[in-house]
Amino acid sequence: MASVLADKYCSKSLRGILMDGECGPGHEYNYQPLNNSFTVPPGIDPHHFVSPFMSDSSDCKIKFNHGTTTLAFKFQHGVIVAVDSRATAGSYIASQTVKKVIEINPYLLGTMAGGAADCAYWERQLSFECRIYELRNKERISVAAASKLLANMVSYYKGYGLSMGTMICGWDKKGPGIYYVDTDGNRFTNNIFSVGSGSTYAYGVIDSTYKWSMSIEEARELGKRAIYHATYRDSYSGGVVNLYHVQEDGWTKVSQTDVKSLHYQYEEEKNKEIINNEEL
Amino acid sequence: MANPFEYNGSAVVGMIGSGCVAIAADRRLGIQGQTIATTFDKIYPMNESLYIGFYGLATDALTVSSRLKYQLNLYQLRENRQIKPKAFMHMTSNLLYSKRFGYYFVEPVIAGLDPVTKDPYIATMDLIGCPMETKDFVVVGTCSEQLYGMCESLWKPDLEPEDLFETISQALMNAVDRDALSGWGAIVHVIEKDKVTTRTLKARMD
Amino acid sequence: MADGTARVKGGFSFELCKRNEMLKKAGMKFPQPKKTGTTIAGIVFKDGVILGADTRATEGTVIADKNCAKIHYISKNIYCCGAGTAADTEYTTETISSDIELHRLSTGRKPRVATACRLLKQYLYRYQGHIGAYLVLGGVDTTGPHLFTVHAHGSTDKLPYVTMGSGSLAAMAVFESHYTPNMGVEEGKKLVRDAIAGGIFNDLGSGSNVDLCVITADGVDYIRPYDVANVKGERVGDYTYKRGTTAVLDTTVRHFEIVSERVQSTESMET
Repeated sequence: MASVLADKYCSKSLRGILMDGECGPGHEYNYQPLNNSFTVPPGIDPHHFVSPFMSDSSDCKIKFNHGTTTLAFKFQHGVIVAVDSRATAGSYIASQTVKKVIEINPYLLGTMAGGAADCAYWERQLSFECRIYELRNKERISVAAASKLLANMVSYYKGYGLSMGTMICGWDKKGPGIYYVDTDGNRFTNNIFSVGSGSTYAYGVIDSTYKWSMSIEEARELGKRAIYHATYRDSYSGGVVNLYHVQEDGWTKVSQTDVKSLHYQYEEEKNKEIINNEEL
Repeated sequence: MANPFEYNGSAVVGMIGSGCVAIAADRRLGIQGQTIATTFDKIYPMNESLYIGFYGLATDALTVSSRLKYQLNLYQLRENRQIKPKAFMHMTSNLLYSKRFGYYFVEPVIAGLDPVTKDPYIATMDLIGCPMETKDFVVVGTCSEQLYGMCESLWKPDLEPEDLFETISQALMNAVDRDALSGWGAIVHVIEKDKVTTRTLKARMD
Repeated sequence: MADGTARVKGGFSFELCKRNEMLKKAGMKFPQPKKTGTTIAGIVFKDGVILGADTRATEGTVIADKNCAKIHYISKNIYCCGAGTAADTEYTTETISSDIELHRLSTGRKPRVATACRLLKQYLYRYQGHIGAYLVLGGVDTTGPHLFTVHAHGSTDKLPYVTMGSGSLAAMAVFESHYTPNMGVEEGKKLVRDAIAGGIFNDLGSGSNVDLCVITADGVDYIRPYDVANVKGERVGDYTYKRGTTAVLDTTVRHFEIVSERVQSTESMET
């Protein structure tokens, strides 16, 4: 019923078609929302309807969980995914214990930046689509295909006020994979991504010592450290560092560390270094 | 662009105890979301047992504190005695109200002991200098609502200096932990008639 | 003052106006000064006037002060309740109080309420409402009891019973139904209390206690508080932190050298 309604009120077709090579061998795969498309107010242009709630000058602006630091990078032993756990509404800290890594399935992770609800909803939807894909094609979906499904889903609603910046991370036939997808319709792949208000700080740390040939230990420490430094400089990031590692056999949650203890641990290490240097 | 009071971020509390007062502040200096420094002083000593702390635009806090120090030095030279906290509060209030139509973006907290009677004194005022003297606690800051909640539940009359320290520290730290714009360490001054104890606290740094 | 040599002059300084205007143009949202969402009221009774006020000061939705004094001193026989911008009511009444005192000293006569009223309205009119003081002025002089309201723009009214502030409607409802001329003191005090209580309980901007000020030819009875309309509940739990809970990074102690210690009581200034 809902999909009938949606077809009636939406001008565009709901189909997003994957490019060749990104789907299963020789199969065409269509994205078709089943009973889950949004009901939009009849006779009102959704772009126009949401605009007062999105503008900075509005008194009734929807306060999204914009502040965040999330990062993911590939290296020889897979993908490291690290995130903070703070949720803010304006300057108020609404939570310090948010799970910003979304476990899509045992081989795929998504990160959360922007609207928490948008990320949670659409990545749950993605999880569903990925399962359908598996059942139809008798094999796991690639990271590229999964991220494209998500990109197609959200870009269909471009301008409706969705807010999401996510990294879809996993391991497939091609090895480790990271795709950045956002609600503007962007979709990129690269070795390193960081998303959110603290991303610039995180990039700084990653770039300083990142190497493809890092050991697992080094990579995990780098992810943790990058998030810590972002929480230190960025007001809107904080709480704990949630660290995940994706390898060939799927993801594992490596650690959850309070940044307060990290701060004083790093501080102590710095002081030790200073003492050692002075002794030299 | 933001409200000038939320541009740098801060939290200041004053509390009265038994024969003592405490004043505490966080140590962050930020520019909106970006933390610039975590050792920034928001509390200025005016004389040995009189302190003033500021919430608001850091540049104005610096200006107001030096103007006050200048006026205070003249006062103490002229009168050849230490100023009473209440007189200093009026000095501050007058300075702020003289700028009624083009104001400084600061709200001060004053805490001190009377130089003669050693009576504890705290006061605060709004940005145009409306004085507010209380017998319990005063709070200002980007997390003033959190601070009100903490102080209302933690404060009780006649706290000894050591207990006053715990009370003000916990009130401040738990309040700033729910505010993105303040925190990153804290400093607490406990003023007694024969000494001032200054402590920096181990706080969350995010 | 600014160059460090000139004497401090009275009056307002406008040196920051240009900067603040620039900030406003750059899109800065401006904070509002503290307002007293208020109920203030006054009546003329048999022997004089009774002024009343609540004791709440608000900053937005936050109660900034639960027991502030809104009945201000003008002279020994004149008092003034203030509503509106808190700092403005404070400073306007203080300014007029000293003007009245100077006037008293130069004429050698007991100040009249009409004089205070005229000074207030002329002062406020000069600032065209930018000084947000809404006042209830009352007192007893050689010509008898007088009660005025003064609005921020400079208009005044002289009436037997008046109310002002955000709770004025609630308070006026009480006066309209129960005020009678030539009331006794106790009856009058009760009426003003009821009017203020009307504001305290029905206006969210007003609250806490009732302060009264009874002015007669014989003197002033400033009752603060007259009625604690909202008794704070006893805190049952004890949330005290044990000593040593707070982790301290660094401690410094500055001891004072006490050269001599003496305790003296201060007498109030002779006026």
